[in-house]
Parts: sequence; C-alpha cells; structure tokens
Amino acid sequence: MLSESSYSWGEIRKGLDWPMLIAILALFALGLISIYSAGAGVRRSTAGYAVRQLVWGALSLLAYVAVLRIGYQNFLKQSYLIYALAFFMLCVLFMLGTTTRGALSWFRFGSVGFQPAEFGKAALVLFLSRFCHRYPPDVPKHMAGALALSGIMVIMILLQPDLGSALVYGSIIFAMITAAGAPGKYLGGLAAAGIAAMPFFWSSLKAYQKLRLVVFLDPYIDPQGAGYNVIQSRIAVGSGGLWGKGFLHGTQGRLHFLPEPHTDFIFSVFAEEFGFVGGVIVIVLFAFLFWRLLRAAFRTKDARGKLLCVGVSAWIWFQVMESVAMSMGLAPITGLPLPLFSYGGSSLLMEFFGLALVQSVAISPARDKFASIT
Amino acid sequence: MYKGLERLDLDKRLLYVRNILIFSLSFLVVGLVYFQLIKADEYVGLASGNRLRMIRLLPPRGNIYDSSGVPLAVNVRTFDIKSYPMDLRLDEDFEGVASLFARHGIPMTPEGLREIVEKQYVAPYRAVSVATNLTLAQVSDLVMDPGFGQGLFPSPVWRRIYPGGSLMAHVIGYVGEITREDLETQRDPYYQGGDIVGKNGIEAVYEEQLRGTVGDQVVEVDSRGRRLRDVNYNDPLKGNDIKLTIDMATQREAARLLEGRRGALVAMDVNNGAVMAFFSSPAYDPNPLTWGISSKEWSALLGDSARPMLNRVMSGSYPPASTFKVVTAAAALMENVITVRTSFFCPGNFQLGPQNFRCWRRSGHGRESLIGALRDSCDVYFYQVSVKLGIDKLTKWAKDLGVGERTGIDLPGESRGNIAGREWKRSRHKEAWYQGDTVNYSIGQGFLLMTPLQIARTYAAFANGGRLVTPRLNAAKPPEWTDVKISKAHIDSIRAGLREVVRVGTGRVAGGYGVEVAGKTGTAQNQHRNDHAWFVGYAPANDPKYVVAVLIEEGGSGSSVAGPLVGQMLAYLDRHGK
Repeated sequence: MLSESSYSWGEIRKGLDWPMLIAILALFALGLISIYSAGAGVRRSTAGYAVRQLVWGALSLLAYVAVLRIGYQNFLKQSYLIYALAFFMLCVLFMLGTTTRGALSWFRFGSVGFQPAEFGKAALVLFLSRFCHRYPPDVPKHMAGALALSGIMVIMILLQPDLGSALVYGSIIFAMITAAGAPGKYLGGLAAAGIAAMPFFWSSLKAYQKLRLVVFLDPYIDPQGAGYNVIQSRIAVGSGGLWGKGFLHGTQGRLHFLPEPHTDFIFSVFAEEFGFVGGVIVIVLFAFLFWRLLRAAFRTKDARGKLLCVGVSAWIWFQVMESVAMSMGLAPITGLPLPLFSYGGSSLLMEFFGLALVQSVAISPARDKFASIT
Repeated sequence: MYKGLERLDLDKRLLYVRNILIFSLSFLVVGLVYFQLIKADEYVGLASGNRLRMIRLLPPRGNIYDSSGVPLAVNVRTFDIKSYPMDLRLDEDFEGVASLFARHGIPMTPEGLREIVEKQYVAPYRAVSVATNLTLAQVSDLVMDPGFGQGLFPSPVWRRIYPGGSLMAHVIGYVGEITREDLETQRDPYYQGGDIVGKNGIEAVYEEQLRGTVGDQVVEVDSRGRRLRDVNYNDPLKGNDIKLTIDMATQREAARLLEGRRGALVAMDVNNGAVMAFFSSPAYDPNPLTWGISSKEWSALLGDSARPMLNRVMSGSYPPASTFKVVTAAAALMENVITVRTSFFCPGNFQLGPQNFRCWRRSGHGRESLIGALRDSCDVYFYQVSVKLGIDKLTKWAKDLGVGERTGIDLPGESRGNIAGREWKRSRHKEAWYQGDTVNYSIGQGFLLMTPLQIARTYAAFANGGRLVTPRLNAAKPPEWTDVKISKAHIDSIRAGLREVVRVGTGRVAGGYGVEVAGKTGTAQNQHRNDHAWFVGYAPANDPKYVVAVLIEEGGSGSSVAGPLVGQMLAYLDRHGK
C-alpha cells in the first residue's frame, strides 16, 4: 500500500522546491543565532539552548526527508486515524498532564517534553484536507460537520488552557474552509458568532490571563507585573534602530531585562541586535516562504494537496503575525513560538513536519509528468 | 455522480488566501518602521538608562522552640550594605568601595569584593550584599563617610542565633549561605545567591516550613544610582515556627551526664516516639557557623580528633554487643526454637568444631534458662540458641525490630547501621557465612552495627508491647509506628529478664535512683582500644514511659560507666513527670 504512492530519491530530487527549503533553513539558522545570543547573558552564559536547538533541527530535518519519502498521500490516507490519536492525546493530557506555568500542555519523558497541541496542528490540517475534499463546505450540512469535528479539538485546547494554540487552530480552520469554498455569508456568520462569543469567553478566563491580554493596550497599568514584559520587549525592539546593536551586543537581552528571551521573545532579541534591516529580512523571508508554499498549491491538481498547503500556511502565518506583533507590544502575550525561530523541540519538529507535507505536494506534479512520459 | 471539491473554482480562492497572508505581513513592517525608525531615539535612551533596580527582601525564618516554649533558634536584626552590579563595573568602583570599608575597620580587598559580587550575581539591576552582619553603629559610621554613595545603601536583614549554643547543636543544626551547587540543582527556582538556607538538623529538614516567603522591592533610580521612588513593594512573610518534643532542661541534664566523655544519650517516649533528650558529646557551637567562619576555623572543627561535628546519637554506628541479646531471644521464642523454660549449661565456653567461643565469665554460669541468661548476660546460652535458630531467621526478626534500617527520625544524615547477614557478607567479603559468624552475631558482635537511636527504638518496642515507633522531634508531627507482631507472652518473658538485670543482675548500678528501671548492659569490643560501654533501659519497669540509651566511646564496661547515666536520666524524667 505504501509503495504505490511513496517517492523514490529520483522523484524527490526532480520535484524538490529548492527555494522553499532554502528559505526554511535560512530562517532556522537566523533563529539559532538569536537563541545563542539570548543564552549568552552577561556573566551568566550558556550555549546549551543553541546546542539543543541544533540537535532538534537535525532531527527535524531527518523527519522532513522521511516525510518526503513517504509522500503526503499516505499521510492523508491515515489522516482520520492521526486526528483521532491527537485528540486522544489531548484527552489523556487533560487528565494527567504535568503542569508547567499554570497550563497543562506537556508530556514529559525525562528531560524531553512533548506538546500534543503542536502535533494537533498538523493532525488538524491533514484531517480537514481530506474531510473538506470529500464534503465541500459550500452546503450548510458539510460546513457544520467540518466545524463540529474540528471544533472539539479547539475546545480541548482551550480546556488546557492554551489560548494561543486555540487561536492558531481557529485560523487554520477558517483559512481551510474559506479555501474549500465556504460561501461568504457563512464565513461572515462564523466571524460574527466568534465576536458574539467573546464576552462569554472573557468571563471564563483567569485573572492573570485577562491581565496578559489587556496589558499590551496599556502596559503602564502594571509596569512591574504583566506589563513589564511588554515594556521591556518594546524597548528591546525600538532600541535596535536601523542597523541594530550587533550580534551579542543587545543590552536588553544580555542584561536579563527580557523574560523568556529564547522562546516567547526571540524576535525581540533578534530585532535588538540586527535592527530594522534584520527584522525586515526575516519578514521578507517569511513572505517568500508563504509564496512558495502556496505556489505548490497552485501547481498541484490534487484538491486535497491544495487545502493542505493552505492549512500549513495559515498555521505558520498566524504564529508569525502574533509573535512579531507581540514583541512590539501590538498583540497580547500568548506565548506562541515564532515558527522555525523560537527554542523548543516539539514545536520545531512539527513545523518541519507540516512544511515537509507541503514540500511533498510540491514534488507530486513532477511525478505526474514523469508518469506521462513513460 | 460525486464530484467532490473539483466542481469549485479552488484556485480563485487560493489567490485570495495568498494575497491576504503575504500582504498582511506589511503590517509588521509598518510596526518596525514606527518603533525602530521613528521612535528609535526614544527607545535607545530608555534602554541605556534602564533605571529599574530590584532588591530581594529576605524574610525572617520561623523560630524553633522547645516543648515548653523556650526559644532555641531566633532572629536578630543586623545590617547589610548592598549595591547593584551595574553600578560596580570598573576596577575603580571595586577599589573605592574596598578602601571605604577598610577605612572603617571592616577588612576588604578589591579582589574579595569582586568575588562576593560574582557569587550573588543574578542580573545587573538586582542588588547584592557587599558587606554583611554590621551593627547599627558600624552602619551609621559608614554612611557618614563622604565616600559612601555611588549605589551603596544599607539594608536591614535577619540573622539567625541559637541561644542554646552547643546544647542543641546536633538537633537544631544551623543555617548558612546557599552554595553554588545547591543553586544549580534546586528544583523550584526559589533561591538566589546569598540566600540563607538550613544546612543541618531541624533547620535543614523543615527548611520549606521555616524559610517564609521572600518579598521584593522595585525602585527607580537616577543616573547616579540614587533612589527616586518605589515602583513596587511586596512584604516578605515570616516562616512558620516549629515546636520540638525536646525540653531544654532535660537536654541540659543529658549534657551534664555526658560531660567530659565522648558518647551519646537519647531519651524517648516509648509510646509515641517523642524524643525527650538527644545529646552527642562533645558538641559544637552552631552560632559561629551561621555568622560565617573562616575556612581555617572550619577545618579545625572538622579535623578535631574528638569529632564534635559527628552526631553520635544517629550517625555513629557501634556493635550493639549484649544489648542485642533481646533480639536473639525474641527471634528464638517466636520461631519456637526455645521456650522460656529451655535451659542450656554454661561451662564458661562453647565449642563449635575447632572454634572455641568464651563466655564473658570464664568460670561459667552453670545451667541457665532465658530469664537467668538475660540477667547474667550469659553468652554461652545465646551461642547455643543461635546455632539452633540459624542466621536467616535471626536477621529476619532483627530487621523487623529496626536493625539495619533508618529509624526515620526527622533529622538529616542518619546512619543505617549494618544488619549484615549472608548476602551482605557474600557481596562485601566474597565469603560464605559460617556458623561461627552466627554465634558472634547472637551477642551483638561481628559485623553487626547499630546507632544509639536504633537501640533505643528497639527497646521501646519491647517496653510498649510490640510497636516499633518512629522517633520524632517536631511536636506537630503525628506519631507513627509499625506492629512487630511479637506475642504478648514472649514480650513479658523478655521484660521479666530485663527487670532482673537491674534488680540483681549485671545492671544493678542503673537502679537505686528512685525509679524502677529495666534494661541491659553492653560492652562492645573495640579493636586495639578500650571497649565501648552501652546501657539501654526503660522505666518505670512495670508501666514503661521512657526509654534511654547511652553509649560511651571507649568507656570500658557498660554496667559501670553507662548504667548509672541511664538510671539518673530515667529518674530525672520520672521525677519531672515529662
């Protein structure tokens, strides 16, 4: 079963979208530099995070190649099973997960942590690609089915509670059903329902979560508490100026004013040291990446593959928007990693996995040509 | 026919999605333009003059009291001089501060100062203590100096003192500055360099209860490091107090009895495990340790041949000698190897193959049964019993009576002793267990080792009718015990023997202090040196309340040296109705 749609090395070489892969690796490399810088504080320095991230990067690259060999079609075939597995893991986590920072979001195996919420993102994309293809959401029944089946996952994530990831899931779902043909009035209704649900949602939040959501509007209401991070991050980004302070010369990061510099605030570290020029290069690299991701969608004839590209793009896009905007104090602090950039093993691995699925879609048309020749 | 998604014009929608995703990123670029180009100067200024400073306010630790409320560990206010690492960057800064202190009689070198700062460093805006333990007079003297300033400021801190001095050292322990290794291995990131933690004793075991909650203060300073205003203030919260089961007067009596000797005394309530006296001699004064002593003084303390830092009550392991005979007796009775009437003839020695084992009394005891054998501490009787019993059954009961296991007292560093036995000898000495080993074992010699606390606990189990209690020092800790499952009749037989010991037997010297004592002597062979003397006893003999175990290192015969001390301690406890 596997062999018919898996790919040979020759097919992969022939169809590989090199610019896409190079953009991914360039972003990872810039992230690695920033992680190293974030760890190299004054008088208390560690290269440990950067080294571990490099190891995770190597593992992720292996996974990337493995996915290319297997081919996205095989993952789509098993997508319902994968989705059920992700849901099951979230349920188990809800019952016995270990608590980190007030949120149940990790499975711990010794020193290695695994976040089912990250796995769930890829599972959701695979699931909706297949489901929306079989039941296009242009009729109310199908759309309701897609929303219900993906909604239960969002609810499990919200129960953790992991607001940031829930928003990522939401943007994946919205982008995919939009691309799959949901009529404008349904989408409008969905957006309106989301806005209407806000007050209920707000009242269910814990006090610290509310504070984290509002401080970005006016960080000075709590300058030493929740607002502290916003103020210090904004100072880091702003003081970078046009050219930045130079590699390993960012004072905000190195003097420990920035909290969580290697994860949540990695862009602040980068922007302080490499300035406006560096920041724009990163944003342009991401824009280029989205262009290549969706180029794969245009070139494939497989509608499921098209949806898959949209889902992965929406996932990465939302995290980029949120993480970069947060570093400037323009979005609430949700603790989402900047894709390919932030320190963190399971998020990096799953990002590479999602991007490998898209690369696999990009490779597939080459096979069709190859097949027609022989 | 099913057509699925292909009937829709997917690519048109893809185009929308692509444009939205890519062009929305320009919002981020606009943000960067605003903050990094338009407002850059403002933020560069904010970054270079990050004017927030944090001070960690350490809470006073909880007090420790004795059972009647006498303070054993309390806090006094002294002063630290603090500074921020970001204000101490240049060599001149270090030289200036060091010479300021030197001018006012506080010894300090620039290198030493740099070391102190490094050790406590967390972040440049987090205060570190430059000098500690200053009096109010010293501080006011310093502050008046025109050289004082530049980011230096006095800060009141709590220091630990132990009014009981060396009396309670082995119980209370002491506090000290947290070490680098502890900082790096701590699970919860509560501590920071310069923090004070419990290093030993009750201070260490109940650290989390005693330590309280740190507070912090965030202040804004001007460019010269002077405080402008408080931004935030969280009060530190005092730790919880602890009340002990020990009473200071009883402890003082224990110290008096052991004066001039190397040894240990422990007294315990036989029913609930409450420790009433716990003294290891010689002791040390914990006060200098908490205030910081030089490494020379520290190594002198550790190198002292009398070993004052050794907690002999629970960390000193000794052969239990004849005090172990009750364990052999209980095992033999429970395994039906003997009855209380079984008798053996003691000619003064016991021949096992080629080996000859002597009784302590060369002329022999004649015919002895259990009660007489305990009374006279007849070795040959127990040699005979052990050969019939075998080592495996003996170690099984020894284990049930707490031999070779930590007692579980709420103090750190307790020794396990050594229960020995077949497996132990095979893995340790690569040798099989011989019957001769069992014979030695039966009278508490050979490989067997116990702590005074273990022996007290074993005897408490006989005194209270068969419950192995867990010794405890914290009065708030509920009593715990396990049932040893020795039948009442057998316990009564052994207790009758122990009573005879003091009434007419080898332990007569423990009687005559005004309370009826039951107990056992022990004389532990000590290679090339004088023997260790043991006595363990409980009182009142017919309704036991307290057990006392005494060990005197190189004290000679257990009956003459240790016996009277146990008798006096039990009489003291009885008289004061503790």
